Amino acid sequence: MTRRQISMVLIILLVIGLLGGCTRRDEKQDPYRIAVITMMQGGEFWGALKNGARNARTETGAVLEFMAPINESDYEGQIAYVEEAIAQRFDAIVLAPSHTTRLEDVVEQARSKGIKVVLADTRLEKSKGDLFITADYFQVGLEMAEHAFSLFEEGEPIKALVLGSIPNSTSMTSVVSGLVTAFNAQDGAEIAYATYSFTDEAIAKKITEEILDSDEGVNLIFALEENTAHGVVNALPEGRKIRLIAFGTTQFEVQLLEERVIDALVVINNFNLGYRSVKAAIDLLKNNRPTEKMVEHALVTKDSMFSEEHERLLFQTIQ
Amino acid sequence: MPRKTQNWSIKTIVTVAIAVVSISFTLIVSAILFSEFSSTVKDNATVSTREIVRQINANLSFYINDITSISGYARDLAKQVSSLGKEDVEDKLKTILSSRQDIVSVVLFDLEGNALLSTSEAPFRKPDEITGQQWFTRGVGGKGNFYFTGPHVQQLSKSAYPWVITYSQQISYSISEEETAQGLLLIDMNFSAVSELAKNAKLGSTGYVYFIDNNNKIVYHPLQQLINSNIINEDIDAVAEHIFGTFTNTFEGRERLVIIDTVNNARWRIVGVAFMDELMSGLTQFTIVMAVILFLCIVITIFLARYVSGWISRPIKDLERLMVAVERGDFSEPPTVKGNQEVQALSQSFSLMILRIRELMDDIVKSQELKRKFELDALQAKINPHFLYNTLDSVVWMAEQNDTVGVIRMISALAKLFRISISKGRDIITIGEELEHARNYLIIQQIRYHGKFEFSIDVEDGLEDCPTIKLIVQPIVENAIYHGIKYLQEMGNITIKAYRRKPGAIVLEIRDNGVGMGEEILTKILSFKGNHSSKEGGIGVRNVHQRVQLYYGSDFGLEISSELDVGTLVRIVIPEGQPIHPIKVVQK
Repeated sequence: MTRRQISMVLIILLVIGLLGGCTRRDEKQDPYRIAVITMMQGGEFWGALKNGARNARTETGAVLEFMAPINESDYEGQIAYVEEAIAQRFDAIVLAPSHTTRLEDVVEQARSKGIKVVLADTRLEKSKGDLFITADYFQVGLEMAEHAFSLFEEGEPIKALVLGSIPNSTSMTSVVSGLVTAFNAQDGAEIAYATYSFTDEAIAKKITEEILDSDEGVNLIFALEENTAHGVVNALPEGRKIRLIAFGTTQFEVQLLEERVIDALVVINNFNLGYRSVKAAIDLLKNNRPTEKMVEHALVTKDSMFSEEHERLLFQTIQ
Repeated sequence: MPRKTQNWSIKTIVTVAIAVVSISFTLIVSAILFSEFSSTVKDNATVSTREIVRQINANLSFYINDITSISGYARDLAKQVSSLGKEDVEDKLKTILSSRQDIVSVVLFDLEGNALLSTSEAPFRKPDEITGQQWFTRGVGGKGNFYFTGPHVQQLSKSAYPWVITYSQQISYSISEEETAQGLLLIDMNFSAVSELAKNAKLGSTGYVYFIDNNNKIVYHPLQQLINSNIINEDIDAVAEHIFGTFTNTFEGRERLVIIDTVNNARWRIVGVAFMDELMSGLTQFTIVMAVILFLCIVITIFLARYVSGWISRPIKDLERLMVAVERGDFSEPPTVKGNQEVQALSQSFSLMILRIRELMDDIVKSQELKRKFELDALQAKINPHFLYNTLDSVVWMAEQNDTVGVIRMISALAKLFRISISKGRDIITIGEELEHARNYLIIQQIRYHGKFEFSIDVEDGLEDCPTIKLIVQPIVENAIYHGIKYLQEMGNITIKAYRRKPGAIVLEIRDNGVGMGEEILTKILSFKGNHSSKEGGIGVRNVHQRVQLYYGSDFGLEISSELDVGTLVRIVIPEGQPIHPIKVVQK
């Protein structure tokens, strides 16, 4: 063999060796680190989301760190957590922003540093992050209203109180606009009061008591968050028929549903939301295209609560 | 072979042949190996997966037997309620439960839905809420058979919503010593035991085992939450189609190996799902290694083929180069080529052939030289006889006249003439010797013709020792005498000169004032062809011309000019050579 041929063979061997050595990022040695920042600590709603995220963690081997302020309205706390996530150089952030504008700067800051930001449940006014995963809250509002109307006799006047959790979240505003749309189309139905509890059971109870005391005509309440619903239930006066449709899957709420204190529960598949947010973050990091799909929701009544479909949603946690 | 390949070199053909044969052989072997290996891997994977599923099935059966034995114990206790008392029976049941993590509660209902015996303290729902539930209705109509229901959210009490699998069976219990009544036994199990059985079963790296009941409803699935949340789906339809056994199908883009087995004593089936890509991951590695080896083999084969073909064809190439050289007329190189047997034989034959050709060529050169020598000899030989006769005749005549001096002059001139003419057999003599030969000839002829002519010989300096072929001047002089001077009334004159003519030629000039020649004769003579009569004096001239040209080439020869009644001028042109030594004559 000539010298040239020998060097050719050596080059080929070298190329093969290089190809063999070039492997992708070893996710077992160096897993992706993802910060999951929810609106608040505790609660069935966020618990289910975290549960879903944990399932995705088990499946992918990613490292998750859960961060949340104590109160849902504490967007300053959320900003601090996002900043911390940036400082700790997380690969991605799954964020349910509790304020539509105040978190915009810090999210852009994270994205400019190459951190993938997946917005879960609620979005920002100007930004959807790298991906936005949510339920169809406007549709939820419509369905809640339609179900409420079906609970009343034809021609019966409907006067509703809408009690949301926090004012600056797109999920709340979407639900409310769905409700408003449906009420505008319904004769004899009005949303007389719309206010926020800031996820505080005591505030919710106080507001409900005050409104019910001052206005005898209120016969329908929408409680758009589980703590709020608990507060509302505690404020319901004896002997006065008030229809209640609430968000949430707490055991207390389920019992109240069975007792027909709550007429319907809105269940968002938050397990799915959490799972898909983490998966999407990893997909984005791997430059794969994440699936874009609405998170499902359901309106569960006493009659449907043990049906196969709703049973799964309502009792998401299995021992 | 197709026409295209006919123009290929041996090297290319051999390279291609070796490469094609060995590469296809390698490929075939690899393909066979690969298919054998992959089918073995698949078989092994199937066997081991089936074994795992069978193992889990055995454990599950064992567990179900365990539950039925507990129910048997509960049945026995139920028959002793009246004798042992309610509290005592409940305590015994609670003892069992305290040792079991997997059993949530054991309850005996009467057929109206009232709880008779219970291990849990929580208040029960209203009887009509109990009797409406599926596990109750199934058990009551079941003629003593037991049923597994679930998984479902249990609705026994209002304070808890546990996910359970419910075992229900209609049994009889004692009301009093003599009387028995029908009731419904319930055993609620959580998933801990079942999941413990199935969750650690790893088929491949993400394969799993799940259970379905006779309605194809999932009893337990390790990814239950993901299924509940509609994140993943399970291929229940395919499992419903295949009651039992092993099959492979593609579900949601992944090929899966599904193994279904029925569970004893419960109308459940166990389904093992393994993903082909994981089972065959060893095969992927094997394939990569195989591909690398194959690639290396092919590369090495190609280089080897090139090397071998080069080794085979190089001697042929060498031989070819040699042949081309021989074609161009170069016979000098010894035609030996090292290489394989055939080429060596070929080379030997070729070298023999070349030797033979060289011999033949040498022969031709030799015979040509010989032929020329014969011709020269023959030409030289023509000079002598008449002259000798005439000379000797003159000597006889002078002797009769007692002219002793004349005889001596003549004989000594004749002797010198012959000495030079013989010149020890050499063809080449000096110009000095050649002109001396001419002088002696002229002396003899002068005596014979009684001073009828006079002559002069003039040689340029430095030419005496230059070589020339011998006996070229004398024939011209002879012609001048016989055909020019002889017929002259007045005194004849012959002038001989030797001088240089550029570049590199020597001219031997013989001029006479004889009768000269007509145009016609001159032209004939100048053509140097054909036979002339001796009268015309052409033979000598032609001989000289031919000899000069034979020896020195066609650039040299004779130049003749002549005019009637004026004379003739003959110039012999020869090349100037390196001076040589004259022949040494031994003086006696």
